Amino acid sequence: MMEFLDQLLSFNLDRETVFGLFEQSIVFIIGMTAILASLGVVLCATPIYSALYLIGNMVCLAMLFLMFNAEFLAAVQVVVYAGAVMILFLFIIALLGAKKEGREFSFQNFMGLSFVGLLFCELLMAMMVGKTRPVEGKVTPEVIQQVGSAKAIGIELFSNHIVPFELASLLLLVAAVGIISLAKFTYKPMRKRTRT
Amino acid sequence: MIDDILNFLDPYWWLIIGVVKAVIIAVGLLSTVPLLVWLERRLMGRFQVRLGPNRVGPFGLVQPMVDAIKLLFKENIVQKSADKFLFYLAPAIVVFTAIVTFSAIPFGEPFEVGGETIGLWGANLNIGLLFIFAVSSMGIYGIVIAGFSSNNKYSLMGGLRSSAQMISYELTLGLTALCVVIMSGSLNLYDIVKSQSSMPYAIPLFPAFVLFFIAGVAETNRAPFDLPEAEQELVAGFFTEYSGMKFAMFFMGEYVNMITMSALVTVLFLGGWNSYIPGLDIPILVFAFKVFLLLCVFIWLRSTFPRIRYDRLMTFGWKILLPSSLVIMLVYSAVKVYSLSA
Repeated sequence: MMEFLDQLLSFNLDRETVFGLFEQSIVFIIGMTAILASLGVVLCATPIYSALYLIGNMVCLAMLFLMFNAEFLAAVQVVVYAGAVMILFLFIIALLGAKKEGREFSFQNFMGLSFVGLLFCELLMAMMVGKTRPVEGKVTPEVIQQVGSAKAIGIELFSNHIVPFELASLLLLVAAVGIISLAKFTYKPMRKRTRT
Repeated sequence: MIDDILNFLDPYWWLIIGVVKAVIIAVGLLSTVPLLVWLERRLMGRFQVRLGPNRVGPFGLVQPMVDAIKLLFKENIVQKSADKFLFYLAPAIVVFTAIVTFSAIPFGEPFEVGGETIGLWGANLNIGLLFIFAVSSMGIYGIVIAGFSSNNKYSLMGGLRSSAQMISYELTLGLTALCVVIMSGSLNLYDIVKSQSSMPYAIPLFPAFVLFFIAGVAETNRAPFDLPEAEQELVAGFFTEYSGMKFAMFFMGEYVNMITMSALVTVLFLGGWNSYIPGLDIPILVFAFKVFLLLCVFIWLRSTFPRIRYDRLMTFGWKILLPSSLVIMLVYSAVKVYSLSA
């Protein structure tokens, strides 16, 4: 941190520092946006805006995955959560008609203050931690490069984790069958159903 | 001064190239839209035994430009009951996701300029296909938000219909695209095109090709699946309350989606820029020709088929398309496993 400041003051910047700083600041901005969006989910008075904040949060998480080379995870995050789950949320909210709740305090003020507070805390933490250490052990940079690819995840899933994976699919099947049986069949006697 | 800046940026040329590519793709796509509108109106005219626009400029070519100027200068109406922020956000989402989706599609071999290899794509992602599905699924939000924020029952119905329709048909789209992934063994679109250098996948994977195209037409909300904007029932569906340029942005989104879907079908099933005719390999022209043909098929479908009823649409999606695409996927994966073990 102090080194950065010194370099900034003496205008002694080389490329790596500038672009490293650029990348770090992008990660920082995305992370902050994710935090603010998740605050928005809880604090927002209108349900539809809450849902939109949740989508924003998920997209920010996907972007964070992208920044750390986990492309496959990022795509899956967007396809499953932001694409499929949240569209159903919006569907239900739009169908039921969302009413605005009364609010006791100013939402914008709270968001602004919390942003400033978070920024301050983050700066303090950066000062405390000091220099970060390089990655060691099993997770080498080469492994990290590989982690994002669909192939690596596929091999890992279908070799080391094949039993939990299949069990999870069984669980999903049970859920699907349960929903169909709840929606499709009414457990009333035949006579009563015809009367209504 | 400029030399200093250039020296400073030397190892980061890819950043500058990326920015230039992004601008070219966005401008190129958006300037294709008026041409496509013209093409659609002319072709629709011929299909319905009339002339179509032919007064402004040669063959009526200036007509879409004039329309665009008219839309730009129209009054911008936002009704009082609308949710202002979401009302403005929705068309932006639709156009943005449409353009970003196209950026992952490769349309030619990479070439070298000044020691830098420049690929003819916005981004050659390892997970290209997944990326396209991810971003295009985000495009639904534009339509749902437009329907919700207008505070109009027709808009709301249009938005709900479109979200239900797109979720249902996305499954078929994904499953049939999975057949191609199984056969080529890669999610990277460039590798998929490379693996079709001898034969396009449309021939061995013909059923998957047909299902993918049907689901693609439904996914872009084109007739006969244009339920979200059914004029007879819903005035204009989700964009009933929009006027001026915001109205035009929904159209832009729809037409860019049409181009993207045609390009995706070309890459996945028609062999991309492989011409298969010796002596005729100008990659970009071959690619553009295939996309043009598919766009004409889109317009042909629109002028030929009547809109199908909403419940039939859902039944068709869930009870016919989805099971058959599942069966096709199982068959092709069995074939693949057999060919691997043999």
